[in-house]
Amino acid sequence: METLLATLVSGLVLGSLYALMASGLSVVWTTLGVFNFAHGALMMIGAFIAWTISEALGLGLIAGIAGGTAAAAVIGIVIERFLVRPFYGSRAMLLITVMTTLAAMIILEKGALMIWGARLKQLPRLVEGEVSILGATISAHEAILVALAPLLLIAIWQFTVRSATGRSLRAVGQNQESAALIGIDVPVAFAIAFGLSAALAGLTGTLLGSIRFITPTMGVEPLVKAMIVVIFGGLGSLGATAGAAYVIGFIEALLILWIGLYWTPFALFLLMIVVLVFRPNGIFGGRG
Amino acid sequence: MKTSLLRAALPLAALAVLAVVPVFAIDSFTRHLFIIAFIYAIIASNWNLSLGHCGVFNFGHLTFFGVGVYTAAIAAKTYGVDPWIAILLGGPAAAVAAFLIAAPVARLKGIYVVLVTFAFGQLVMQLVLSQSATTGGAQGMVRIPYLRLGDYSFLKDYKLGYYYVALGLLVVSTLFLKLVIDSPFGKSLKAVRDAEDYAAARGISVSRQRILVLILSAIFTGIAGGFYAIYLRVASPDVFGFGTLSLALSMVLIGGVGTTYGPIAAALALTFATEALAGIRGFEEARFIVIAVAMILVLRLAPGGLLRLLELLVPKSLR
Amino acid sequence: MDPILEISGVSAGYGPITVIRDMSLHLDAGERIGLFGPNGHGKTTLLKTVSGLIRPSAGTISFNGTDITTLRPPEIVNAGLVQSPQGNVLFGDMRVLEILELAAFTRRARPHRADNLRTVLDLFPRLGERSGQLARTLSGGERQMLSIGCALMCAPTLLMLDEPTLGLSPRLKEELSAAIGRISQTGVPLVIVEQDIEFLMALTDRLYLIEHGEVVREIDRASTPDHDEVMQLYFGEAMG
Repeated sequence: METLLATLVSGLVLGSLYALMASGLSVVWTTLGVFNFAHGALMMIGAFIAWTISEALGLGLIAGIAGGTAAAAVIGIVIERFLVRPFYGSRAMLLITVMTTLAAMIILEKGALMIWGARLKQLPRLVEGEVSILGATISAHEAILVALAPLLLIAIWQFTVRSATGRSLRAVGQNQESAALIGIDVPVAFAIAFGLSAALAGLTGTLLGSIRFITPTMGVEPLVKAMIVVIFGGLGSLGATAGAAYVIGFIEALLILWIGLYWTPFALFLLMIVVLVFRPNGIFGGRG
Repeated sequence: MKTSLLRAALPLAALAVLAVVPVFAIDSFTRHLFIIAFIYAIIASNWNLSLGHCGVFNFGHLTFFGVGVYTAAIAAKTYGVDPWIAILLGGPAAAVAAFLIAAPVARLKGIYVVLVTFAFGQLVMQLVLSQSATTGGAQGMVRIPYLRLGDYSFLKDYKLGYYYVALGLLVVSTLFLKLVIDSPFGKSLKAVRDAEDYAAARGISVSRQRILVLILSAIFTGIAGGFYAIYLRVASPDVFGFGTLSLALSMVLIGGVGTTYGPIAAALALTFATEALAGIRGFEEARFIVIAVAMILVLRLAPGGLLRLLELLVPKSLR
Repeated sequence: MDPILEISGVSAGYGPITVIRDMSLHLDAGERIGLFGPNGHGKTTLLKTVSGLIRPSAGTISFNGTDITTLRPPEIVNAGLVQSPQGNVLFGDMRVLEILELAAFTRRARPHRADNLRTVLDLFPRLGERSGQLARTLSGGERQMLSIGCALMCAPTLLMLDEPTLGLSPRLKEELSAAIGRISQTGVPLVIVEQDIEFLMALTDRLYLIEHGEVVREIDRASTPDHDEVMQLYFGEAMG
């Protein structure tokens, strides 16, 4: 019973991480119809910038988190401007932007390796100590991640439902021409979506940088997991994506308990492919 | 008339040049670069069959290569299969992998094809990592048996033998691709790519085509993987990573999606270009950035690939 | 006085394909004009060009004396020139009220949001009844109303309607005609693209016949008030 509880709590931690990553992918997808392969690399950049501000410059962790998040947002907007926008309206836009964002990922990863080197880095934790949830113990920092994730998701959801800017992103995602005809600046909406998504990735990176080591390739695994999440939940809606993230987190934690660390990723991917054979738009399938 | 003659003559001339290269390039490093370039040329041109000619967003092409690598490595090292046979086994093994992934992919559309084919690569990589008793896990496999031909040793000829085996593989692979593309099946591929609904209305089964094209594109990719393992004598899970994927992708793009020789020319050019860049101090990592930027620029400025661009620049009279 | 909208020598199309050629037409203050002619001959393309969705390859467009040829759609909407697009789904996965509120998006329209919303719901009570529904669940007529309602939320000083009656029943057409008449009474000049001549005749002062991407005839209602005569002209041209 105790191991099961511990497993569920670790599933919660994983699910929170995946939800933050996958919801960023979903925001860009629903607004622009672009799958951003550089999303994991943006997360990694957030962590490195945070480390530089917090540790190398000694300005403190909070400044680091803010700086890392902001830097990721700026890079996200730059990616949109130069690697995505030139291809709007192109017949093969989906495939082309997959390739250009893949190229952006390579540039960011290799760039980070050149700037920061291969030595492992880590951020201090926001708070030290441990927290007990349902009898299972996790670090206080992880508890902050767990608590923050749903708050952020709700904030993004409310933003897209209530605010004019947020609504304009949804409108652009559903009908660009009609959106332009009511005075929405479509390229600006695209930049906002990319910036928001990248900021989310950057923030996730700064939080993860205290739990895992910061390396140029630290974004790959979360990106791949986020891909599983969006395959599972579909990319169409924020709610389905976030829900799927937690489900995958729990499944992963349970799989680790049952079949061990080695077989778990294999089983996860197999599960995803089986899911897709029967539900081509994901379990909670929205529009493809 | 003149055009078609030149079009036929150019590849033959290129082949003739490549055939005599080892006479002038007597050091094993230059030959090694050519061998690697030939392998990448096979990967890129076969990938182009599914990506360019059929329009399948297959991001698991390097998985076929990896399956070939590990099939040959395990066959030769663990089971003592003759390395020649082990290389060839990479083909059918990759074809089986292609069949497994093609079945679900044939029904999917757009971004989900990208995601699932990519996830398939991760699946195979995780399988390789988890079965360390067989595959060596993250460390990979080393000291894989090398090629022999009677008493002739491929280890002491400054890679001359490997050079011609690789070139031979590339030639056979290219002939195979030309055969496929020029066949009625190959023509129907283009029909599906350009007008899926119309093709379906004409009774072409889009799903069956996609499955078949993925399998066909896997065969020589797998054999190239087998050769890669036997030649380098190592098998490492790196082949499933983003690095190899983006390098091969850039060759397809820069060479020209949907052309026959573009990716081959790009593979040769990029292999030497990256190697030359690696020689410059401080560019060991930056060369990947250079390639990524080149890829973006080609997509932006010459979407048909550089070969198309060259064709446009060369005056009509010369074509 | 300068015309409200002046289109001179405009050519435009999609990529290499030219759809409209050297078109010139104008709209004077307080006037309502109609564009008619066979389908696929460039009427919608003209509206899209005026709205800034398509950049013209030649010619100029001016609105209230300002050159808007190279402005982008949001700038044109903010200037008060608003197009209600052909009755499509708009934003299928958003709710009716949400869409109407969002449509007051420009800096100019935002302060008038509450007023305009009241006007729209007054004009189309049906939209009020459907306010919580997703747009894609609306009927064809309701979608058309929503499209026009959105345009009104933008606080237009010139309204362009693209085939408002497309696919509507005669009863709905009548309802819509009355509503558009009421909009016109508030002093907003109109440009209406329409297949239904009768509908167009009831709402406009002047007509342009558009064929093969060109203005082939201008019909002043004062000099040609008879409906049959216009029909004659139309079909005479179309067949000849």
